[in-house]
Amino acid sequence: MKAFSRLHPLPLFTYFIIMLLFSMFLRNPVIVALSLLGGGAFAATLTDKREKLSDLKFYIPLSLLITVTNPLYSHNGRTPLFFVNGNAFTLEAIEYGVFIAAMIIAVLLWSKSYSKIVTSDKFLYLFGRAAPKTALILSVALRYVPILKRQAEKTRAAQKTLGLYSTGSIADNVVSGAKVYSSLVGWSIENAVETGRHMRSRGWGRGKRTCFSVFRFRASDGVFLGFTLLAAVLLGLSASRGLLAFSFYPTPTPLPVTALPVAAYICFGALAFLPFLIETEENIRWNCLRSKI
Amino acid sequence: MELLTVKDLSFTYPKTDAPALENISFSLKQGGFYLLCGYTGCGKTTLLRLLKPELAPFGALSGSIRYAPEFGDPPAPHEIGMVTQDPNEQIVTDKVWHELAFGLENMGLEQETIRVRTGETASYFGLAEKFGASTEALSGGEKQLLSLAAAVITAPKLLLLDEPTSQLDPITAMNFLDTLKRVNRDFGITVFLAEHRLEEVFSLADTVLAMDNGRLIACDTPSKVCEQLKDSRLFMGFPSAARLWKALDAPAPCPVNVREGKALLQNSVKSKTGDGSLSQPAKVDGSLPPPALSAKGLWFRYTKDGPDVLKDLSLTLRHGEIFSILGANGVGKTTLLQTLSGVRRPYHGKVRLFDKNITDYKRGALYRNGLSLLPQDPKTVFIKDTVRQDLVEILRAGGMKKEEAAEKAAAAADTYGVAPLLDRNPLDLSGGERQKCAIVKLLLTEPRVILLDEPTKGLDAYSKFRLAALLRQLAGEGRAVLCVTHDIEFAALISDACALLFDGVLLAAGEPHAFFTGNTFYTTAAARMASGLVPGAIFVDEIAAAVRT
Amino acid sequence: MNKKLLSYLIVLLGIPAVIVLGFTVFSEVKYIYIALAVAALSLVPFLIRFEKKDHSVTYLLLIAVFTALSVIGRLAFSAVQAFKPVTAVVVIAAMYFGPEAGFLTGSLSALLSNFYFGQGPWTVFQMAAWGLLGFLAGVLAERLKKNLVLLSVYGAFSGVVYSLMMDVWHAMFEDGIFSWGRYVTSVTTSVWFTVMYAVSNVVFLLLLARPIGKKLDRIKTKYGI
Repeated sequence: MKAFSRLHPLPLFTYFIIMLLFSMFLRNPVIVALSLLGGGAFAATLTDKREKLSDLKFYIPLSLLITVTNPLYSHNGRTPLFFVNGNAFTLEAIEYGVFIAAMIIAVLLWSKSYSKIVTSDKFLYLFGRAAPKTALILSVALRYVPILKRQAEKTRAAQKTLGLYSTGSIADNVVSGAKVYSSLVGWSIENAVETGRHMRSRGWGRGKRTCFSVFRFRASDGVFLGFTLLAAVLLGLSASRGLLAFSFYPTPTPLPVTALPVAAYICFGALAFLPFLIETEENIRWNCLRSKI
Repeated sequence: MELLTVKDLSFTYPKTDAPALENISFSLKQGGFYLLCGYTGCGKTTLLRLLKPELAPFGALSGSIRYAPEFGDPPAPHEIGMVTQDPNEQIVTDKVWHELAFGLENMGLEQETIRVRTGETASYFGLAEKFGASTEALSGGEKQLLSLAAAVITAPKLLLLDEPTSQLDPITAMNFLDTLKRVNRDFGITVFLAEHRLEEVFSLADTVLAMDNGRLIACDTPSKVCEQLKDSRLFMGFPSAARLWKALDAPAPCPVNVREGKALLQNSVKSKTGDGSLSQPAKVDGSLPPPALSAKGLWFRYTKDGPDVLKDLSLTLRHGEIFSILGANGVGKTTLLQTLSGVRRPYHGKVRLFDKNITDYKRGALYRNGLSLLPQDPKTVFIKDTVRQDLVEILRAGGMKKEEAAEKAAAAADTYGVAPLLDRNPLDLSGGERQKCAIVKLLLTEPRVILLDEPTKGLDAYSKFRLAALLRQLAGEGRAVLCVTHDIEFAALISDACALLFDGVLLAAGEPHAFFTGNTFYTTAAARMASGLVPGAIFVDEIAAAVRT
Repeated sequence: MNKKLLSYLIVLLGIPAVIVLGFTVFSEVKYIYIALAVAALSLVPFLIRFEKKDHSVTYLLLIAVFTALSVIGRLAFSAVQAFKPVTAVVVIAAMYFGPEAGFLTGSLSALLSNFYFGQGPWTVFQMAAWGLLGFLAGVLAERLKKNLVLLSVYGAFSGVVYSLMMDVWHAMFEDGIFSWGRYVTSVTTSVWFTVMYAVSNVVFLLLLARPIGKKLDRIKTKYGI
């Protein structure tokens, strides 16, 4: 989570949005497979062993569930395997189920990487100019979440050692939760009003203000953004001309494998594996450096 | 050059009769370091806020505040910096770099200018490593440094500080004040600092202004102010050296720090014929009262792979005893209290209250007529809209009827002198008042063991003495008191025994005189002055008594 | 007044209408895309209006604090499925600060809490759902303040609406094309969630609305806002 996340927020955000949109809307098995593999490889560089394990524990049953349940809703397809209550359970529906599962896992994987890479400060930077007030609210709220959390824990412990709501029953927990929460409200709104005065005292609301950021747009950011957009345009064109069209019902259509679609696949594959490659390249470089020392 | 001139300033808050400030006149010179002292509620905060137009309170004002022309008219926000005691209120953004940039953004400066200025400021204040961190990941001391840096970054002409160190431990506080002095010296920024912890800060200031009841009662050099106010009630909060000077009835000039105090003492001891050693207080013999709370072999850590915070810690607290535990920040004092009070569980070892393990008390019985913990932040003790409601609630939770609870709450409030505060909102009380109400709430559970976490945080000298008296009274009733604190002077004053918490165990437990004279750093200012001259003395009075005989 | 009414109508009727039209008129297009686009676009007019208006810092900060409070609520109850005070806090913010604040608190709560729970395309949907519920509560503010029964009804209603809206997302996310069959299954399998949403909203509104209202009144007199 070093090399890739160092890119400027703009190319990062663009990249993730494009990956999410294409994974969801280009309903082509090759595209989805590439997205799943690329997304998985990249997510694997971002997570530790424990997280990987818990992710797998979630993704595998989920994909099985989707695969199995799809034929329950969808009785299209030409190859019935067996009948339930007079409804056909078709091979095509199962195949489509596998496809949906792969697509959903791919989207989840990219979303996960997005959450880890496009952190709140990058998000704020991107939208801070267009919507400064909303960005301010988000920034203050982000600050208050940990403060409130700590204050709530402290208040709860204080009440407990005073013997209030310490019986451990569910009713006690809910009532004490609500009381602590409501006291937290009083405390925080008072704080907010005071913070507002401090903001004014530091010059907020006096004419035009600038928006400082710690991010720099480097040449590499430009190259990355350019490549992402170029790939997106090419893929979009191929898709709009029906080159990537694919349908499962009544029987799966043959995969488009002529020159143009294959070019589109390569293009998308390069896009999908780019973050993983950037990350791996840096790892290798570090290992080389270390072995030289 | 006069930066600011205040003339005949009076101020009255809406819906009150008594003025908060009365006929205040003074002026601040360019580059000075001014200390404003006085007890909580004397009008320090009101005065400081009136000097900062955006924070000025509403009310009736007479007299004048005149700023030098270069402030602009009205004075521009970036020309006057302000730091207050609560970092939660004054830090605005979620990242350190953004907090530093905030004031500059409001001035409309360019990206590159801001980049350079935030960078150099972060380096100057030692915040460079935290530049990308989120503001909530900072410690209390770092937050205050950040607030100071964010105020200084706009290059103000005047810096106002309202008790900026009151939430910090002594070492962090000194670090902050040293940085403040450096800012004053390196950039010539005028500093106007309101403080009530005066032991160290007196010698930093060029000029001390003292306030009492909304009036300015002195304004001169630190030493002269001590001389002028030696009979005022403010004097008990003044540095130990000054109090020693008064106790010895020595001639002017009055010493204001340990070095000067020690020099004074050296002369006094020499001029007397006695050997200057202190007669030890007679040891009280007899059987010790039974233990109320005891811990044996406590081990605690927060996470499975984390470091141990408590390592085989044992302690015994007896009925009627006040036991203080001192220690630096983050050494695990609060953790210890939470473990003793059952909020956290040790992974090894046992805590016994009276004759039972605390885990054997079921359904909150531990906290009824058993032990009570006063947390560091007394705001967390109150969850209702008035003090009265909070007091009644805790009695009702003990199974009392509504009318009876109301009566008992009122009676308790009378006993401990908080009756006038009953119908106030806990958030509107001053630190000292809130502390007192919190203790009353805690006493309504009739605890026989009272645990206190930093009870003097944010209290002025006067409130501290009142708290000390209250604790002695509670111990006299046979209650056991365990107090963890940074406040060395306070611990020396109240304790029957003290100990130092270090590396997960208690070191050097003992009676205060033995404890503090045995320590070099962790000891009272009086003991530091007395060391080598009046052995065994840890209070100003003791030194004075020894010198006089 | 008319302009205001019109903008309310556009938001409250127009957007659902576009979704419904999308489902019935177009048969083979990507509904999920339309739905996402509509959800995202529904946020835009609010934000534009909000950014253009003059607001006091205090107002902005109070919205920020309420957003943080609802996120805290979601975090605090993350162990209990579907039993969350988020909607209740959004409704309370809307009752005391108006429709705009309700919308912002709602949509920003979704955005912000997903920084902790994980962002994804569903964020847009949650933002729209909570935002609209907050907006509506703001429109009905005066009545909700006076009548606890109505408030409870609104709580239950918003629980159901939220659940139904998220079901649209779940049904489509799986299939990409909207089918009533899948939607109905999605709705029926999440009945338990729907009930919990509704119950938790009512419980938290009844527990919190009055005390928070009192605290806000106190702040208003103390600081003269």
